[in-house]
Amino acid sequence: MMSFLRQYPKRFFWVSFFIGLVVSLILDVLWLRSDILHYHFPFQYVPQFFAIFGLLGCMLLILIAKGMGYFISKDEDYYEKDSRRQV
Amino acid sequence: MTEWIHPGVVIFLGAFLIPWIKWRTVRLAYLLLLPLIGLTLLLLMSSGYFGQIPAWPGALHKWQIPFLDYSLELGRIDKMTMVFAYIYLIAAFCMNLYALGVKNKWEHVAAMIYLGSSLGAIFAGDLFTLFWLEIMSWAPVFLIWFRGTRKAMGAAIRYVLWHHFSGACILAGVVIHLYHTGSIELTRLPWGWGGEHLGYNLMLLGFIINSATTPFHSWLSDTYSEATPSGSIYMTAFTTKTAIYCLIRTFPGVELLMWLGAIQAVFALFLAVLENDGRRLCSYHIISQIGYMVAGVGIGTEMAINGAISHALCHIIYNALLYMGAGCVLVVAGTAKFHELGGLYKYMPISFWLYMVGGFSISGFPLFNGFISKVMTIEAAELIHNAPIYLLLEGATVGTFLHTGLKLPWNMWLQGKDEPPPNIRAKLKDSALNTPVHMLIGMSILAFLCIFMGVYPKILYDRLPYPVEFIPFTTTRVFSIMQMFIFTFLGFWFLRKLVTGYPTYTLDTDWPFRMAGRKLIWFCEEPLMGFARVMDRKVMEVVNLIVWISKNPAAAFEIKKKEMLLAGQRRLAKSGSIDLCRQSLEEEKRKYPGELPGLTLGASIILILFSFLLYLALYLFAIP
Repeated sequence: MMSFLRQYPKRFFWVSFFIGLVVSLILDVLWLRSDILHYHFPFQYVPQFFAIFGLLGCMLLILIAKGMGYFISKDEDYYEKDSRRQV
Repeated sequence: MTEWIHPGVVIFLGAFLIPWIKWRTVRLAYLLLLPLIGLTLLLLMSSGYFGQIPAWPGALHKWQIPFLDYSLELGRIDKMTMVFAYIYLIAAFCMNLYALGVKNKWEHVAAMIYLGSSLGAIFAGDLFTLFWLEIMSWAPVFLIWFRGTRKAMGAAIRYVLWHHFSGACILAGVVIHLYHTGSIELTRLPWGWGGEHLGYNLMLLGFIINSATTPFHSWLSDTYSEATPSGSIYMTAFTTKTAIYCLIRTFPGVELLMWLGAIQAVFALFLAVLENDGRRLCSYHIISQIGYMVAGVGIGTEMAINGAISHALCHIIYNALLYMGAGCVLVVAGTAKFHELGGLYKYMPISFWLYMVGGFSISGFPLFNGFISKVMTIEAAELIHNAPIYLLLEGATVGTFLHTGLKLPWNMWLQGKDEPPPNIRAKLKDSALNTPVHMLIGMSILAFLCIFMGVYPKILYDRLPYPVEFIPFTTTRVFSIMQMFIFTFLGFWFLRKLVTGYPTYTLDTDWPFRMAGRKLIWFCEEPLMGFARVMDRKVMEVVNLIVWISKNPAAAFEIKKKEMLLAGQRRLAKSGSIDLCRQSLEEEKRKYPGELPGLTLGASIILILFSFLLYLALYLFAIP
């Protein structure tokens, strides 16, 4: 396994990543039916809540920020140009 | 036996010795020794050498100095000050190690003054002694100035403006509080809206500016990213955490803080998405993480306060590590801008992995120290059943992992390239060890602490003021956070093209202030100076005229009379003798002042008597 890791680090990463992903999806289904997970809010008991929250949260964050960037992204020297004091 | 020795004062005064040590090796050894002396003093305090530290909220009171009608207390030692002081000094030791390569010895002096004054503020037992904060507002200015760039010059001035403003607010609040209550004790203060709470609102404003709470967070990202690579690391640790400390002391449980903190935790992440500079991105993460602490203070339950304290302390460690990682790239490659970097992994893998320890910590991966402190605050939000606060804080976890765990390392070290851009490659040696070793040692100690505290949280939990009956590693928590991170990574991978760096500058909430400042300077330079110039010219004309007349009043009046006559003649255009008149006038002007008329003694006396008469008239009638 170590030699595999050394030889194909990227492939190792992706294989383990997808194993983790699938396992987490399955565990969520199994554990929600049993009495292992204890949450505080009802919405946390929605199946795959944290998967959806992570995925959507991340993508929304990037997309909304990019939309904000349309208004607030300026040239690097925004505050320096047309100021005679340059401070 | 001495009553007590103040570690802050020792380091503060010790800092001034640094430039007098001639030999570089000895100087650097002394620099490392300073925090160690502080740590030794803390160990003596913990062992009860200066007296047993009572259980929270009891405290040892040392170094009480009479001042006016009050008693200043330089040393209030309780569980909270001790745990803050420990982490400050441990972090400072690692930071000094990291900064050993700095050529400018005054940078070390500024850093140690900064550390000493932070400790001074932490140990302060009353609201006057707390004004160590004021030293903390100018010491870092030098850490920014020593960068030497024009941007750094401006940033340092903005830093000092913000902090003196906050200092003035706190002072005003303290004075109002003192006027009403007569007490200067640094303790929990009442808070509310309305006029009777003006003083407390001013103090709160001062503290939230110092702690970079939204909407007053912009100074942080603006200035930390302009400081010197090692100077910025000191700055990440002390100012904001000391402000959090003050908030915990004075305003725990203020609901406003809970909302500000939770909003800030998420808001800063939106700005971080657009960021192109590695250190500015880390700055937004400081702001975001401070959101957790401020929210914890705002929630105000015992668990939340414990969470805020532990998060502040863990944050000092992992954030110094993050900044050190970005600073390594800045030192080695000469830039921390994403669009100029990428593919550095082959040349600096150790700093990459040490950075990643910080990245995992700040994201809150289980077994790293961010997890054990962050979940405490989140759990506190869950326990008060406030779903919006919970969702904001949990959402901030997603964003934090996205940026510091994924975006920054991807853009700085990887970007899917094996080699960095040619201009960067030219600066690198062919080995895998481009980062100076002392930097790596400093980072390694912090990375070790991140993992050690993450694996063995009891070491921190036992030192928190309130007793901790909290187990961070439950199946629910570990599972939910891991699943969330896996899917965050998936989202990042889908949109990874969008988070590459573009050479842009992101406007922040300081835009209105800076624009207003710019307009003010424009107003002063253009209309106001124009008006001043006109006024100046007019006044000088009048003065010159008076001087001219006084040289020979009789002849002057003659010339003026002729001038007026000439003007009248020209207007009427009656005679052809204008030219003649003008010529004689020119002649008289040229001769002016000419010979002064001599006064006889009698005429002089009459003039003098006449002026006395005028004075008498003035005295009798004009002055009532």
